[in-house]
Amino acid sequence: MAEFLFEILAEEIPAGILPAAREDLLARVSAAFADARLGGTLTVYSTSRRLALVGEGVADQQPDAESEVTGPPASVGYDTDGNPTKAAIGFAKAQGVTVEDLRVATLPKGPYVVARKVTPGRPAGEVIGEILPALVEKMTFPRMMRWGDGTPQWIRPVHSVLALLDGLVIPMHLFGVESGRTTFGHRTLAPGRIVTMGVADWFQKLRAAHVEPDLAVRRARFQEQAQSLASEVGGEPADDAALLDTWAHLVESPGVVRGSFDPDFLALPEEILVTSMREHQKMLPVRSSGTLAAHFLAACDQIADPKGLIARGNQWVTEARFSDARFFWDDDGRTRLEDRLPRLGKLQFQETLGDYLRKTGRIQDLAEKLAARLGLSHLDGVLVRAARLMKADLVTDMVREFPDLQGVVGGLYARRDGEEEEVWQALYDQYRPASADDSMPRGDVGCVVALADRLDTLTGLFGLGLAPTGSKDPYALRRAALGVVRILLDRKWRLDLPAASADAAALHGALPRQRDEMLKELSAFFLERLRFLLEKKGHASDVVEAVLTTDCPDLADAEERVEAVEAMRKEQDFLPLAAAFKRMQNILAQSPVAPGGIGEPDPAKMTDDAEKALAGDYLQAKGMLDDLVAKRRYKDALSIMASMGPALDRFFTEVHVMAEDPEVKANRIALLRSMRDQFVRVARFSEIRG
Amino acid sequence: MDLQTLILKLSAYWVSKGCLLEQPWDVEVGAGTMHPATFLRVLGPEPWRAAYVQPSRRPADGRYGQNPFRLVKHQQFQVVMKPAPDDIQDLYVESLVALGIDPKEHDLRFEEDNWESPTLGAWGVGWQVLLDGMEITQFTYFQQAGGIDLAPITVEITYGLERLTMFLAKQRSVYDVEWAPGVTYGEARKQDEYEVSKYGFEVADASLWQTLFDRFEAESGRCLDAGLVLPAYDFALKCSHAFNILDARGAVSATDRVGVIRRVRELAVRCAKAYVASREAQGFPMLPKTAAPPPENGAENG
Repeated sequence: MAEFLFEILAEEIPAGILPAAREDLLARVSAAFADARLGGTLTVYSTSRRLALVGEGVADQQPDAESEVTGPPASVGYDTDGNPTKAAIGFAKAQGVTVEDLRVATLPKGPYVVARKVTPGRPAGEVIGEILPALVEKMTFPRMMRWGDGTPQWIRPVHSVLALLDGLVIPMHLFGVESGRTTFGHRTLAPGRIVTMGVADWFQKLRAAHVEPDLAVRRARFQEQAQSLASEVGGEPADDAALLDTWAHLVESPGVVRGSFDPDFLALPEEILVTSMREHQKMLPVRSSGTLAAHFLAACDQIADPKGLIARGNQWVTEARFSDARFFWDDDGRTRLEDRLPRLGKLQFQETLGDYLRKTGRIQDLAEKLAARLGLSHLDGVLVRAARLMKADLVTDMVREFPDLQGVVGGLYARRDGEEEEVWQALYDQYRPASADDSMPRGDVGCVVALADRLDTLTGLFGLGLAPTGSKDPYALRRAALGVVRILLDRKWRLDLPAASADAAALHGALPRQRDEMLKELSAFFLERLRFLLEKKGHASDVVEAVLTTDCPDLADAEERVEAVEAMRKEQDFLPLAAAFKRMQNILAQSPVAPGGIGEPDPAKMTDDAEKALAGDYLQAKGMLDDLVAKRRYKDALSIMASMGPALDRFFTEVHVMAEDPEVKANRIALLRSMRDQFVRVARFSEIRG
Repeated sequence: MDLQTLILKLSAYWVSKGCLLEQPWDVEVGAGTMHPATFLRVLGPEPWRAAYVQPSRRPADGRYGQNPFRLVKHQQFQVVMKPAPDDIQDLYVESLVALGIDPKEHDLRFEEDNWESPTLGAWGVGWQVLLDGMEITQFTYFQQAGGIDLAPITVEITYGLERLTMFLAKQRSVYDVEWAPGVTYGEARKQDEYEVSKYGFEVADASLWQTLFDRFEAESGRCLDAGLVLPAYDFALKCSHAFNILDARGAVSATDRVGVIRRVRELAVRCAKAYVASREAQGFPMLPKTAAPPPENGAENG
């Protein structure tokens, strides 16, 4: 068994692609080692300049491989006396075996001459040297780079390739670079050449040269240092696992410096300071007893900062950014949001759908229509105000500088302008929820305008035929639809979503797509998001399916039905009900509706006891079911339905639905249809798996 | 260190690495990349090494001299090397040493930052170089220019001179840094900033600039038809500047924007093709006559 070491030293690899590149390299090479019968366990290492693999228990030599090659049919290979013909002799020669090594095998197509060949295993180093370059060179990245004469293509130029098997160099060329046993230390701290004898030596020498190849070690060291530097000033580093991950990918030698900034900057809104630190400077803010402290923590690719130069540089940058933000904050403050509206007329939302001023107008109209549908018309005044101002922050310098803060900036400015709380909060929260886990807008006003904005975007772009396809969703429509669904579920708002979508579509006027068809597609799009969310909440996929295959204009109602079915499912008499529903469904599927339609079941026409019993139970319960469903007391409705299980069972055992007498038959079908239609108001139980 | 010392040191350093000391282009540009010594020279197989200061104008960045970091007119120190030397990152780090920065005492990082110019039909991949958290350089490997895939690959290194000087002097306002001993940047430039900001945002005659755009565009086309690459390119640059003025003035409607950018790009693409054809017709005169590496007078082999 041998140890394997492979390191590619490149120019700085983007931190964003390293997680995928690590996985990809490990998977490719592990699979190739298995295919080549080399075995072993591989582990991946990386830094900002390196991708490396360490293998343990790799075979020194491939085991021999046996294989059989099919030659001519037996009747051609041997004469009637069983002697090999020229054909068999030629075949044996071509395969490099003797005629004695041939045999006749019975294949599906008949008896054939086969040669049994043994391919001797080759030394592992030779095999690895052959397969590895192609595996690496074929890695793909979101944005490939060409270098040198323009031919090599990878993520960044490759400078050295270290490849050792049990300390011996595996010869190969990667992008024209010859493999060897050398690598280099940290770019600025120990840039010299390092000669490596094996895995342990590599770790030891890299670490001595200020390179920590283990991602987890770097991350842990960052976390420790951040914690201890923050606690020295009586604070805590902001909790940000994603930023720590990024830090760990950005360096070879993990270090943290703490800096301070002028506490006067704390007068700026915290959102702006935090975004500036996190997004622009990749810094961790420091909090002490819940509030932002005038300190920051910055990652660096350094062991120490004895002269405080790094801290001072970062402080200078932070204060420069903050001064910039303060300039925008003050300068933007000279123009009220209200007075910025004309400039929205010059900011395009979408070529055909027009500028943001027009969008704002549509959002206002739609917000009022939504309020009417939701019984919130008393909010019309604040809704229109919020809708009117909600996009005005797009023409501020602050949003130009901090695009991630759109909405938030509008809210902060509206508050400063003296807008009512409901209004500024609506602006602040308008892009929430931005994901399946993000928080909601705080109040009704925020939720209504957030819905109106998204419905306007969705109906507009669907109307233009720009619905997302596959992984392409340039207008983030999936996120918009998910936001709509989450808000409706969270507020438990009873909204007829297709009707509200139609309101939104009407405000666009004529668009290329036929409107009804587009709306149908959009409804299905919403249901997809709803399905995703319900399953994410832990509901069983068949229960979700059972509800979503019924008519679901009201998403919050659909969720309630899912919850009721889910609860009911655990009860004993539920499965028989589901089975009975399936039988109803099957029978009804074979019974096309007569031209005269289906009447109500008539107890007077019933002949059979089991039939009468079922009809008795059902017709008595029907009024109650109607009432319960109307009040959305689905669990109660379901238990009444389940209580009919025994009567249904008896009916199916004793009654022949397809009776000779057409009237009797029609009456029985009418009974089943009426029951089925009643049940389907909650769920299509045939979707439930036993 | 003052601004002019920085320029002198960078010039001396890159000249020692075999760069021709180019001079600023005399047409308004938004970035050093638009200088023909970069945009045109990255095209085709001929080796090229140049360094120069390029004053750049971005009317939309105007702040009337009130913002300590934003300027309409700023200066870039631009280095282009084709093909990019294998040790270009080391050469770059050495340039910082030449400025008196000891990399062992600082935090130096190359963080991904790709570059794209829709008006030039150009893009590249690379990094922003961060020194102690401050972006001091844009480092780009050109991949395409004027819609043409490039080979060999050029490296472009752009130092933002004002920011770098501010950072090295730890000044909070660009107007406080010294341009020369005893003369501040503010004394040299602050009134200019006020005037060009006011012009771009308030005074520029949009209909004149619209007319100019159309006529520069037509003139560029006429030059191309006459086989005159550089005059055509100059007029394409003037179109780009006219667009920037119109944009700052708020005179480009959102719908027009895409169309206007496309019109400039079409000129840039035609210029790029015409340049390559012209160099080819001249037999790519800067290609080495033998198979030897490109001419160098530098110490980079040392």
